Amino acid sequence: MYLEVITPDKKAFEGEVTGVKLPGTSGSFEVLNNHAPIISTLEEGDIRINSAKGTTHIKIGGGIVEMLNNKVVVLAESILENA
Amino acid sequence: MPSLKEVKNRISSVTSTQQITKAMKMVAAAKLRKAQDRIIQIRPYSQKLSALLSNVSGTITGDIENKYAEEREVNNVLIMVVTSDRGLCGAFNANVCKAVVALIKNKYAELEKQGKVKLLCVGKKGYDFFKRRDYNLLNDYVELFADLNFESAREAAEFAMNGFEEGTFDVVDLVYNEFKNVATQIVRTEQFLPIAKVENEEEDESLNLDYIFEPTKEEIIRDLIPYSLRIGFYKSLLESNAAEHGARMTAMSQATDNAQELLKQLKLTYNRSRQAAITKEILEIVGGAEALANG
Repeated sequence: MYLEVITPDKKAFEGEVTGVKLPGTSGSFEVLNNHAPIISTLEEGDIRINSAKGTTHIKIGGGIVEMLNNKVVVLAESILENA
Repeated sequence: MPSLKEVKNRISSVTSTQQITKAMKMVAAAKLRKAQDRIIQIRPYSQKLSALLSNVSGTITGDIENKYAEEREVNNVLIMVVTSDRGLCGAFNANVCKAVVALIKNKYAELEKQGKVKLLCVGKKGYDFFKRRDYNLLNDYVELFADLNFESAREAAEFAMNGFEEGTFDVVDLVYNEFKNVATQIVRTEQFLPIAKVENEEEDESLNLDYIFEPTKEEIIRDLIPYSLRIGFYKSLLESNAAEHGARMTAMSQATDNAQELLKQLKLTYNRSRQAAITKEILEIVGGAEALANG
């Protein structure tokens, strides 16, 4: 599935991934391939991105995520650190 | 005719002014590129955000309670004025200030007399302008453009939103320059709050996807609306920033051309007086030689 992490200032991540773990407002959850369409608000926390190349972490300061037809778009309010 | 030395001095001063305006033009061009990139960056973001918002609100039946859309009797007005921090950019700032003065005069003349129109200036030039004219100024965000990012824009937007929520202001207007292209800026006067009601009568079945909503639709909407307001405000700041650099670039390019024109005329004057001096000298020598031969 395809993941995009964007903030108002820049594009933080874009690419093919196998799974992404998100800090949802009502609890952390993971989105895998062919997940059902979901819209959720996010709170401050870590996004863990699993791809063929390995695992990446991005810390965001809240935002919202939409998953539709194997395309995940994370609209983050800000990027706190890029590890 | 001015003396040779005077003209020479003027030529050198115009040349150095021209160098400055030329350099400023280059700097503005470089900054404009950066500012333009940022606008291009935020456009998909705000598009996706509003698409999301309409996606969510499309699935909700009935009215959503929205504290930012509440229409009240207008007693207190806040006008947010977005100008630049620096001058030398043509009529950029003057246009915004003029639009604000006109807005107050046409729409809020009565309230202004009672001192109920408040101004919030983003950018130093607008602040100076209204301070000199004794307008009712609130918090200023003068240094915002030095390092423009979402965090600092958010502070200003939240100030207005909190004021509206608490009833300190009943209407918040936003006046800024929109970036159309490098040479054109459009002064925009928009109502920031309350949000104008969007008519979404059309029932699009294809939109009615079976989304999972977390936590709930209502809570997502409650989060999204203020967030999209902040993004909207930030976007107008970015527009204004790009428009500023565009305006400065055009103004400086114009100034460089004018200096070129002035230099041309000065050089003509200089050569003419030089020629006149030489002719005079030759006449004197010839005259002197003739006087000697005759004597």
